[in-house]
Amino acid sequence: MLQLSQIQLAPGAEVFEHDFRAGTLTVVLGRNRSGKTNLCRLIAGLACSATGRVVLNDQDLSGLRPQSRSVAVVFQAFVNYPNWTVAENITSPMRAQGVSRRDREARAKQLAEVLGLEALLQRLPNELSGGQQQRLAIARAMAQQAQVLVLDEPLVNLDYKLRETLVLELQSLLQQSGTTVIYTSTDPKDAFALGDEVVLLDEHMKLQSGTPLEVYRHPQSFVAADLMSDPGVNPFTTKATMVAAARQAAVRPEHVYLASSPPAGEVSEFQMQVLGLETSGDETFIHGAVETKRWVVRCPGMVQVSAGQTLPVIVRNDDIMRFGVI
Amino acid sequence: MAAIQLEELSFRYPGAEADTLAPLSLSVADGTAFALLGASGAGKTTLLNLLSGLLTPSSGRVLFDADDVSDLAGRQRNVAQVFQFPVLYESMSVAENLAFPLRARKFDPLWIDERVQRIAADLEITQQLPLVASQLSLFQKQLVAIGRALVRPDVSVVLLDEPLTAVEPRMKWRLRQTLRRVQEELGVTMIYVTHDQTEALTFADQVAVMAEGGLLQVGTPEQIYTTPSCEFVGYFIGSPGMNFVDAEQLAPSLSLLAGTQRVGFRPEWAQLQAQDAGQLRGVVKSIQLAGTEYGAATGVVRLQTAAGQIAVRGQLDVTVGQSVGIHLARHLCFSAQGQLLLEDYE
Amino acid sequence: MNKPYNNKAWLGVLPVLLIVAFSGVVPLMTVVNYSVQDILDFNSRFFVGFQWYSETLQDPRFIDAFLRQLGFSASVLIIEIPLGLMLARGMPRDGLSASLLLVLLAIPLLIPWNVVGTIWQLYARADIGLLGVTLNALGISFNYTADPLHAWLTLLAMDIWHWTSLVALLAFAGLTSVPAPYYQAAELDGASKWQVFRYVELPRLKGVLVIAVLLRLMDSFMIYTEPFVLTGGGPGNATTFLSQHLATMAVGQFDLGPAAAFSVIYFLFILLFCWIFYSSVVREHD
Repeated sequence: MLQLSQIQLAPGAEVFEHDFRAGTLTVVLGRNRSGKTNLCRLIAGLACSATGRVVLNDQDLSGLRPQSRSVAVVFQAFVNYPNWTVAENITSPMRAQGVSRRDREARAKQLAEVLGLEALLQRLPNELSGGQQQRLAIARAMAQQAQVLVLDEPLVNLDYKLRETLVLELQSLLQQSGTTVIYTSTDPKDAFALGDEVVLLDEHMKLQSGTPLEVYRHPQSFVAADLMSDPGVNPFTTKATMVAAARQAAVRPEHVYLASSPPAGEVSEFQMQVLGLETSGDETFIHGAVETKRWVVRCPGMVQVSAGQTLPVIVRNDDIMRFGVI
Repeated sequence: MAAIQLEELSFRYPGAEADTLAPLSLSVADGTAFALLGASGAGKTTLLNLLSGLLTPSSGRVLFDADDVSDLAGRQRNVAQVFQFPVLYESMSVAENLAFPLRARKFDPLWIDERVQRIAADLEITQQLPLVASQLSLFQKQLVAIGRALVRPDVSVVLLDEPLTAVEPRMKWRLRQTLRRVQEELGVTMIYVTHDQTEALTFADQVAVMAEGGLLQVGTPEQIYTTPSCEFVGYFIGSPGMNFVDAEQLAPSLSLLAGTQRVGFRPEWAQLQAQDAGQLRGVVKSIQLAGTEYGAATGVVRLQTAAGQIAVRGQLDVTVGQSVGIHLARHLCFSAQGQLLLEDYE
Repeated sequence: MNKPYNNKAWLGVLPVLLIVAFSGVVPLMTVVNYSVQDILDFNSRFFVGFQWYSETLQDPRFIDAFLRQLGFSASVLIIEIPLGLMLARGMPRDGLSASLLLVLLAIPLLIPWNVVGTIWQLYARADIGLLGVTLNALGISFNYTADPLHAWLTLLAMDIWHWTSLVALLAFAGLTSVPAPYYQAAELDGASKWQVFRYVELPRLKGVLVIAVLLRLMDSFMIYTEPFVLTGGGPGNATTFLSQHLATMAVGQFDLGPAAAFSVIYFLFILLFCWIFYSSVVREHD
C-alpha cells in the first residue's frame, strides 16, 4: 500500500492525503496544471514536498533517491534511450538491478510479446511509430518489476483510435500484473475504462475519491462533477424557498432529454436557447443557454434543431446534483 | 472562396520506394467545411501540403475553381493555414497580426482596419486587439491564428492542420464551435485535417476517410457513420468501432445479401438478451462503465463469441462470465474483400 | 519531517567557489588595494587615496586610448553583428554542406590569438604580403606600418575575420530553433524576405544576439594580443588601445599604483557598458 500523508503538491497548497491500496489501478483525474504531474514526480522521488511523507508498504520513501525507490514511471513524452535498440531499452532497468543475462533476455522477450513489440526488438526508437515508442516505454517500466507503476497521461500524444486500443490493452495488462498503478488523465473516459478507483484533483488539492460510479453519481462539489463529464456539466441555480439562499445545482449533458423522448418519473423542465448543433454520427450535441448559463445536451441519434430556437428540455430530478450555497 | 478539385493527385518523396499518396481524386464544393480524417501516416498532412503549395505533386492536378494551381507557390495560391500550435508574429500586437496579410497585399488602410475589427468581433477577441501576441493564452493565440487565416477576403481555402492539438481539453469544444460558426457566417471553404473522429464528424459537412495514402470514403458524417463503405471505415469510425463477425457464425434467421462474407454492426445496434435468444451467442469478458442512463449504469460490454470479440453498448446488468444472446437490431453486409454490400435490412 | 536530500549539491559548488575566490576575487581585491597606494618598492608604500584615479582620468594619453578603444569596439560591433547574422541566414540548415560550412566557420576561432596577429601582420605587408602587394598593384599605396588609417583598417579586417564566425555560429543556432510553420505561414501571408527576417527571425534571435553583442563588446574592449602583434600600437599611438596602454604602464614602468587604478577603471567601464546593454534589451522580455 502506498500512503501519502500531509503532502503538499505545490508550495503553499493545501494538504493532500491518500492511500493507494496494493494492486489497484487508480486514475487521478484533473485539469491541466492541477498537480497531476507533481504527484507523479513526488511518488517517483523526482521532487519532494516540504511537508509530509510518502510511505510504501511501511517503508518511508521520503529522502530516498528515485533509484532506491521501487517506483517505475511512464511519461507523456515518449522517453526511451535513443541509441539503444528496443531489446536493450527493455533490459536496461534489469541490467541496473544486476539480473543475469539469461533472465534478462527471457523477460524482455516476454514483455515484448505482451506489448506487441516482439517483431521490433532490434529496431531503434526513432524507427518506431508514436504508439510503439510509448509501448516500449511501458515495457521498460514494467521490466523494472517495481511495486508501484506511475503513468503520467501516457496516451495523450497518440492518435484517437490508437488511444482507444491501448487503453483496452493497458487495462488487461495492468490488472494482471498485480502492481499498484497510478494513471493520470484529464479524460473521464479513462477513469471509467481503467479505474478501480478515481482520485479527483483540482488546484493541487484532492477533491474526492472513490469508485468511478460513486464519484459520477455523487460528486461532492461542482468541480468534482465537472471533472467527470466531457463536455462539462450544465449548471443552474435552484431557489429552495424564498428564505433559503440559491444553491448551485448541475446536471450532466447526457442526462438532459428532449421533450420528444421524456424520461419517466419526477422531472423538471427547462427552456434552452439553442446556439448551435454538432453531430457525431450516433450522437448530437446541442449547444445552448439556460438561464444565461452555457449548456450542452447530448442526445442519441440525429436531431433537427436550429439556432435561435427555444427548446424545452427535461431533466430527471434524480439526476440533478446539488452543491452548497453560492 | 473557391471550390477545390483534385484530379488523380499523387505524391512520392524523392528516393522513396512507394507513393506516400496514391492517385486520388476529390471534389470540395465552395463554402464547405471538409474534414480529412485518418491515423498518423495516412497521408493527410501530405495532402494538406499539396494543397498549400509546400509540396508539388508527382502527378495529377490541383484546381482552385477550375484554375490549375499545381505549380504555383504558396503565396500565389491565396491559401491560408492554421497549424497545430499557434503560429503568430509574437512581437506584434493582435491587431497588427491580423492586419499583416492585408498590408502585405497592399489593401487600403482604412478598409484593413474595418476588416480587422470585423474578424476580431466574429472571433470574440476585440478586447485583445491592442495586446502583444505573446501575452495571450494558448486558446486566444490560436483564435488569432485563425483570424489571420480568415482576414483575407480573397482567400480560396483555409487549411487547418489539427488546430485543436495545443488547446486544453476543456477549451476544445469552444474552439470547434467558434470555427464552425465563423465558417458558416463567412462561407469559407475549410479543409480540416485530424485523427480525431469526433472532431471530424462534428465539424464537417463532408468527411473523407484516408488510410495508407488513399481515400477510403467521402460522405456526410451520417453516411460515414451509418453506411461505411468498407470494414476499415466501419472500424475506424465510432468509439468503439464497428464489430465484424463471419456470416456463417450467425443464426440463419438473419437475412443476408448474396455474397456476404462478413456482417458488421455498431455496438449500439446490438442488444443483450437471454442465452437462447438472438442471432449470436457469447460470454461476457469485460464490462466498461461509461455513465448512467435513467439512473442505471450503462457502458460497453465486451463479449467473446464463436465469431470473435465484439462490443455491445447498453445497460450493464450482466456479470463477467455470463453467457448471453446477442440480438442485432440492425446490421450491414460486407463482401469477402471487406466492401459494403448495399441494401441493408432493418 | 525529513530534510530534502539534495543539500549535497552545495558540496559540488564548493570547489568552484574556492577556485573563483583564488583566481578572481583575491587578485581583484589586491588590485583595488594597490590602486589606493603609492608603491615605490616592496617595502615602501604610502596610502594616497583617490589620487591615482583622478590623475588617470585626466591623463591625456589615457583619454586618447579610451576614445580609440570606443571607436574600435563600436566599429567592430557595427560590422560583425549584421555580417554574422547575414552569414547565418545564408547557410543551409542541415545536410553535409551545413556541417562543412560550420567547420569552416569555426576554424578562425580556434587559432591562437598571437598567431592571428602574426598571420595578418605578414598578410598585410606591403612588400611580401598577399594583401599588401595586391593592393599596391591595384594602385592604392597601402602601408599599414606608416599610415594610421591603413593600420586601423587592417586591424578591423583582422578582428572581423577572427570573430565574425562566433556571431554567425550563435545566430545559426538561434535560427535552427525557428519551427518551419512560421516560415510557411509568412510565405502564405505574402511576407517579403525582409519582413520574414524582421518579424519571424529577429524576435527569436534576441536572446542569442544579446549574448553575441555582450561577448564581442567585452572581448573587443579588452583586446590586447592581436593589435600588439600586428602593429605594436603604431604607427606612433594610432592603434594603442586601453589594454596596451595599461600593460606599458604596469609592466614597463612598474608603476603599480596608477596601473592598478587604471585596471579598476577599465574593469568598471566594461561592467558599465555590459550592464547598460543588458538591462536595456533584456528587461523588455519579462
